[in-house]
Amino acid sequence: MKFLEYIKRFNWITFAAMLALIALGTAAIYSAGNARSGELFHSMWKSNLGTAVFGLAVYLALAFFDYRKYITLSAIPAYALAVVLLVVVLSIGTSTYGGKRWLWFFQPSEVSKLCVISMLAWLFGPTDSPPWMRGFRGFLLAAALVGVPAVLILKEPDLGTMLTLMPATALMLFVARVWRRALIVALCAAVVGGTALLGAVYEAEKPGVPEARREAIMKYVPLKPHQVKRVRVFLFPDEDPNAAGYNRRQALISIGSGGFSGKGFRRGETNHLKYLPQSISMNDFIFCVYAEEAGFVGSVLLLALFGALLVPCAWTAYVVTDGTGRLLALGVSTLVFAHVFINIAMSVGLVPITGLPLPFISAGRTFLVTVMAGLGIVQSVSIHGRETRT
Amino acid sequence: MRDDVRLVSDLSALATGVVFIVGLVVLGFRLAQIQLVDAAKYLEDGSRQAARRVQTAGPRGRIIARDGTVLADNRASVSIVVSPEGFQRRNWTETVSAISNAIESVASAIETPSPLSANAIARHVRQQLARPLVVWRDVGDEQIARLVERESEFPGFECVETEERTYPEGRLAAHVIGYVGRGETTSAAGEKFNFRDKEMKGRAGLEAFYDGYLRGSPGELSVTVDARGFAVAEETVVEARRGPDLKLTIDPKIQRSVERQLRGEYAACAVMDPRDGAVLALASAPAYDLNLLVPRLTPEMQERYVGNHACRNRACFETYAPGSTFKPITALAGLAAGRSAFAEYECTGVFSLAGMRLHCARRWGHGPIDMRHALKESCNTYFCNLGSEIGTNALFAAARAFGLGEKTGLDFPQDSAGVVPSAEFKRRNYNLPWYAGDLAQASIGQGQLLVTPLQMARVAGAIGTGRLVRPHLRADAPVESSPVPFSQRQLAVVREGMRMVVDGGTGKLAGEGVAVPVAGKTGTAEVGRGATRRKNTWFIAYAPAENPTVAVAMVVENGMSGGGTTAPKVGEVLKTIFGEL
Repeated sequence: MKFLEYIKRFNWITFAAMLALIALGTAAIYSAGNARSGELFHSMWKSNLGTAVFGLAVYLALAFFDYRKYITLSAIPAYALAVVLLVVVLSIGTSTYGGKRWLWFFQPSEVSKLCVISMLAWLFGPTDSPPWMRGFRGFLLAAALVGVPAVLILKEPDLGTMLTLMPATALMLFVARVWRRALIVALCAAVVGGTALLGAVYEAEKPGVPEARREAIMKYVPLKPHQVKRVRVFLFPDEDPNAAGYNRRQALISIGSGGFSGKGFRRGETNHLKYLPQSISMNDFIFCVYAEEAGFVGSVLLLALFGALLVPCAWTAYVVTDGTGRLLALGVSTLVFAHVFINIAMSVGLVPITGLPLPFISAGRTFLVTVMAGLGIVQSVSIHGRETRT
Repeated sequence: MRDDVRLVSDLSALATGVVFIVGLVVLGFRLAQIQLVDAAKYLEDGSRQAARRVQTAGPRGRIIARDGTVLADNRASVSIVVSPEGFQRRNWTETVSAISNAIESVASAIETPSPLSANAIARHVRQQLARPLVVWRDVGDEQIARLVERESEFPGFECVETEERTYPEGRLAAHVIGYVGRGETTSAAGEKFNFRDKEMKGRAGLEAFYDGYLRGSPGELSVTVDARGFAVAEETVVEARRGPDLKLTIDPKIQRSVERQLRGEYAACAVMDPRDGAVLALASAPAYDLNLLVPRLTPEMQERYVGNHACRNRACFETYAPGSTFKPITALAGLAAGRSAFAEYECTGVFSLAGMRLHCARRWGHGPIDMRHALKESCNTYFCNLGSEIGTNALFAAARAFGLGEKTGLDFPQDSAGVVPSAEFKRRNYNLPWYAGDLAQASIGQGQLLVTPLQMARVAGAIGTGRLVRPHLRADAPVESSPVPFSQRQLAVVREGMRMVVDGGTGKLAGEGVAVPVAGKTGTAEVGRGATRRKNTWFIAYAPAENPTVAVAMVVENGMSGGGTTAPKVGEVLKTIFGEL
């Protein structure tokens, strides 16, 4: 393919949106880091920007080469490596904030999500695959492929990361027509189960419930105490605003006090006066830091940039003729969207608080490279996946 | 089949894009609600949690005497303070010990031990974190120099200018002025502050009585604090202002003269203007230098002076039997009851009643004596007879008419009412009936009658002018007076008698050399029995005898006699006021 063809097929909108997001992310990390004490945090924006440059190299490389070649080559080894790393991290990983997620500077769980997506795309993408793969056995295979890393991630424990994988894989299997009836049943079960869980916690924790009844209900709720606490804060936000509800309250204060035009770069008081929990202001709560300083205008700009980043990926999935390419584009974009939606929704109090990074904005190097690699693959799909149609 | 697959897949891809857009729009609406609709509420929540209201103290007003002499002032003083912001550690215990260690190293640098206990530092960190902690108050130049020299070694420490109370006249009118301590600022009800700075608080005397007046009007500081409560920035909202000066009626010239006369004695004196009640001098001895109580009242000073019974205020707090200075009142009661001033009683030197014998000052008696001469010679027999004749009610009605047995209304924390007894009073306090002897005793100012020197100065003035005034110390206090219920003719008799006391009578030493005619009355009250028996010697006076402008009452404990001990001292005071012949 000629270079000019590359340029023409290259999806510039998503690329430009990504660069803009990296710029905003760098600023947000700078602001969040400066509010903390410690040289490490002050210079965090630099290392993150360095990582973004590295990620950009990965992105361009993956975009340049034909995804079909490297996916075919790497799907199985990458998946196997990811599972091995997830096992290793559980045995020798570094503990932070109540979870074993780190292998030195690196979080295997982030990378493993991309490995699962490429594995599924490689297996279920080709339209000429054997018919059994669309049936019950194919579903079992897919469930096993998703389930093994999911259970390992859940063991860390990192419920949020595990959950973001679910919509992406479900959508991929649905589009690949893998035993749709089961998928629909599973989806319904998830909705019913989630509602039941919320209802049970509500029944148990609402004011005036006797201790015995509360314990009787909670026996059937498969949540850890800290998760129950978060759900409770979500259900009863005004109860106990200084302790359990503190994070939620501070998140809302910082975002809300930003107002229409924001307080200005590095002027976010909630962040700089450390009311916003410092341990997570650079990661899970970075949106609050950003929204306080950039205001509603900045928040809408950010949402628009995420739209400009992700909608072209869905468009790519629509226009490509290759099944693997379509699954990759949908899987990656849905994974990124799940992060964006859950993170911001949690910051604005629409869903219970879950520890999830906001792509490009949060400080987190493994995740940044992972997301950029994934989007690089989608770019490659956009460039190389249309050849057969012409 | 293949086309069908394609179609569904395509639509799924498009549907996915739509879901992305819908999801982002939902977030956008939620953000609009938070950042546009409810923005003001969150902005307020945010600033409320980060803002602390601090009430700051304004400088205290001065106390100034009649002639402009400053009796209480503020002097510049330097305190060394430490700001907790520079000592943020992982936990509070470490923060407290970091501050504590820093204070210790500064203490050795300035060679002054820290007056703060570890507990005091911990309490400050717990309760006043956003405010600087005052470590050394009122430090000297040498200590300041040592700290400034090595300032860079001690970040967080600072010399700040503050004010301390000072009393330029030292012990002059010490009991009247009182002293200050330190306490948190106070404010109007409903005003809520997170922190209040320390300010001077009047603890005794006029400093206490006029505390609200002298106090500076407080300022307000808005301190922005971080999530842990450390101060980040501060902004003055209201500037603190100096309190107004309190101008007194006290005349330093007279006060000094009075104090000179009292020195070395256990004594008290009140001098006032009987026309408007202005207290010209109010003194109690022994006194002490008020500057010894600055910057703080130490337990040692408390024990030696302020809390020492010997140093109590004798001028308007301690009460004494008035002795013979009460006789003018008995005389007026007699006149009011219809007794003639010319009626005579035979004085044999002793008054006997139901087995009780009261001796007259003149052992062999005055012989037949009338009212004026009875006053002049202070004849006990005369007044015992007169009092016994007119009865308890008439006698004590006259005493009450002169304001005895009730507070004078002086603008001062200590204003004793004294005692005008009654049958009921005696039964309650002594569980004894009221005897005829009690009345006879009361007629000559003995027994259960108790008065303050200030009350007696007021009595002397009221006899001289015919009006009983409320004494006051603040210069611009309103004048309150009421006529005493005696006719001018009745008063004239007593005035004549009192004039005769000084003009050749028992109190002649009070008038010697004074440029104006003086009227007065001596008193020698016997207190205690047996070994503790002693005499409190009185002299009350007003001058000039016609149209008096000054009324005086002085009591000297353990004196010889009113005429011998106290009258000459009052004479010296009057000479200071009116000049010498």
